[in-house]
Amino acid sequence: MAVIVIGLNHRTSPVELRERFAFAESRLTGAMEAIRNSGIASEVVILSTCNRVEIYIESDLPSQQAFDGLVDFLREEKNYDGPIGSEIYRLAEPASLTHLFQVASGLDSMVLGETEILGQIKQAYQVAFKGKFTGRCLNKSFQKAFNVAKQIRTETQIQRGSVSVGSVAVELAEKIFTTLKDRDVMIIGAGDTGEKTARSLLSRGARGILVSNRSFDRAEQLAAELGGEAVRFDDWENEFQRVDIVISSTSAPHYVLTRRQIEPILKRRCGRSLLLIDIAVPRDIEPEVNFLEDVYLYNVDDLQAIASDYLDRRKAELERCESIIEDKVQALVEGLRPLEEKGEGKSSKLRFKPEGP
Amino acid sequence: MGLDWLNEKWVFGLAVILYSLSALYSIFLHRQGFRQDNRLNYWLIFCAFIPHTAAMAWRGVLAGRCPINNIYEMTVFVMWAMVATYLIFGAAPRFRYLGAYTSPLMLTMGIFALMPKLDAEPELTQGWVSLHATLILLSYGAFGLGSVSSLMYLTQEHDLKFHKLRAALARLPSIERLELVSVRMTHSGFTLLSLGLLSGIFWLKNDYGVYFSSDPKVLWTWLVWALYMGLIILRLKWKLHGRRFAWGVVGSFLFVLLTFWGFNLLSSIHHQ
Repeated sequence: MAVIVIGLNHRTSPVELRERFAFAESRLTGAMEAIRNSGIASEVVILSTCNRVEIYIESDLPSQQAFDGLVDFLREEKNYDGPIGSEIYRLAEPASLTHLFQVASGLDSMVLGETEILGQIKQAYQVAFKGKFTGRCLNKSFQKAFNVAKQIRTETQIQRGSVSVGSVAVELAEKIFTTLKDRDVMIIGAGDTGEKTARSLLSRGARGILVSNRSFDRAEQLAAELGGEAVRFDDWENEFQRVDIVISSTSAPHYVLTRRQIEPILKRRCGRSLLLIDIAVPRDIEPEVNFLEDVYLYNVDDLQAIASDYLDRRKAELERCESIIEDKVQALVEGLRPLEEKGEGKSSKLRFKPEGP
Repeated sequence: MGLDWLNEKWVFGLAVILYSLSALYSIFLHRQGFRQDNRLNYWLIFCAFIPHTAAMAWRGVLAGRCPINNIYEMTVFVMWAMVATYLIFGAAPRFRYLGAYTSPLMLTMGIFALMPKLDAEPELTQGWVSLHATLILLSYGAFGLGSVSSLMYLTQEHDLKFHKLRAALARLPSIERLELVSVRMTHSGFTLLSLGLLSGIFWLKNDYGVYFSSDPKVLWTWLVWALYMGLIILRLKWKLHGRRFAWGVVGSFLFVLLTFWGFNLLSSIHHQ
C-alpha cells in the first residue's frame, strides 16, 4: 500500500503534450471511475491544470506495476501511442507525498510561490471526494498538504512580494498614495504590459482610466475594455493635470514626455504626487523628469530590479520550505502506516528533488 | 534633592536602558529595510514605558504634585507623552515602525534628562501653573512625534525618488499618510501650545498682575509659537508641502530641543 503519483508538468513536457493529456472537467469523474475499476488503485485524485496533469492514487500493487498501469491507462484514455519517456514522472512514497506538498505550496509552479495552484488542488480533491474516490490515505494526504501550504505561506516569505512588473507598479503606487480609490490612471500607448499594469491598478481600486494612443480606434477599444475613457493623442497633455499615475508604453523612438512639458503642469497640481511608469524601450519619459519635486519616475529596469529582488528572496526561502515539507512528510508517512514495517520508506532520506531537467 | 529621589531615578534609568535596546534593535531593523511586520520593537518600547510611567507616577505621589517642575521632570514628561502617543499609533501594523525612529530620540532625551544637576529642587506648583506647564509640554510631545513621522517621510521619500529597493519592500505607511500624520501632529501641538500660552497669561495676571512678561522663557515660547504658526501658514497659504514641509517640522523641533534647556535656566519667573 502506498501513495503513488504519475504526471507531467511545465518542466518535463511541452504544452503540446500537456494539452494532449489534460482532462476536461466533465471527464474527471469518468476517468477516476475507470482507474478504480481497472484495479490499479483503491483511491484516486486527478489534478489537471494548464501547467500540469497529475494522477494521485493509493494502490496495493507494487510501485512499478502501478506506474505501468497508470501510463497504460493514460495512453488508452487519450488515444496516444507516441513515445513517452522522461516527460512523465513516476513517484512512489514518500517522494509522491513530498511532491504533493511542494505542488500545493506553489514550489513546483512556474512562478515560484504562486497561490492559484492551491485552489486548483482543493477543487480537484473536492471533485474526487464528492465522487467517493478518496479514502483514508488520500484524504489524510491532501488535508495535510493543505495544512502544509498554509503553514508555508504564513511562516516563510515564499509568497511575499510582487514578481511581475504590473504588481510592482501597484506596490509602488501604494507606497506613495494612501489609497488608490480617488486616483486616476492614464495609459499612453495601448501596449500589453501597460494594459496589465492598468488592470492591476484598477483591481486595487483606482478610480478611472484614461487611454491615449496614436491610433484612436485602439485607444477607444482598450478604454471600453477597461471601463475608461479614450483621449486623443494630441490631447493628453490637457488631461494630464487630473491624473496621478501615468503608464507609458508607446513605441515612439523619442521621448513622449519631457521635463519642459511636465514642469508647467506640475504647478497646477498643487503639490499632488505624480507616479510615472515608463515601460517602453526606448524610453518614453525623459529621465530628468525625476528631478522635479513630487514626481516619481520608474522605468522598466527599476521595476524589474524590484521584481527580481523579490524572486531572489523567494528562492532563498526555498530551503526553509523544504525542511518544513520534509518534517511533515515524515510525520504523515508514520501516521499513514503505523503498523507496517516500511524499511525502505523510513530509512531513505526524504529530499526535495525538482523533477525534470 | 534628597536620597529619596534616587530610587525612582533608577527606575527611569531602567526605562532608558530599555529604550537604548530598542534603539539598537531599530538600527538592525533599518538595515533590514523594515520588511516584515515587527512586534518585538513595539513590545520593547512598551516594556520601557512601564518603568517610565512608574518613575513619573512615583515622583508625582512622593511630591504630591504634577511632576513637571524642573528640566528632568519636564523631559521625562515630554518623552512620556510621545511614547504614549506612539503606542496608540503603533497598534496599527503600518505605523509600528515609527518606533524605530522614536526610540533613538527617547534614548537621547533620556540620557539628557539623567545628566546631573538637571533635577534641581522644584518649585511648588499648583492649579494654573500645572495646567500651563502640562499643555506646553504636551505640545512639545506632539511636535516631537510630528518630527519623527517627518523623518520617516524624508527617508521613505528619498528611497522612492532614488529607486532604492527598500522603498518598495518596506512595510511603511505611504508618504502621503506620513505627511498627514506630521501635519496633524503639528496642528495639535500648535493648539496645545496656544492653550498653554493662554493659561500662562492667566497665571501672570494672577500672580504678577501683568499679561506679558519679558522673561526669556516666555519670549522663547512665543518664538516657538511663531515658528510653528509660520510653518502652518506657509503650508496653508503657500502650499509648503512634501519634503520642504517635513524639513520644516524636523528643523523646528530640533530648534525646540536644542534651546529649551538654555532658556529654561535663564528664566527667573519659572525659578524663583
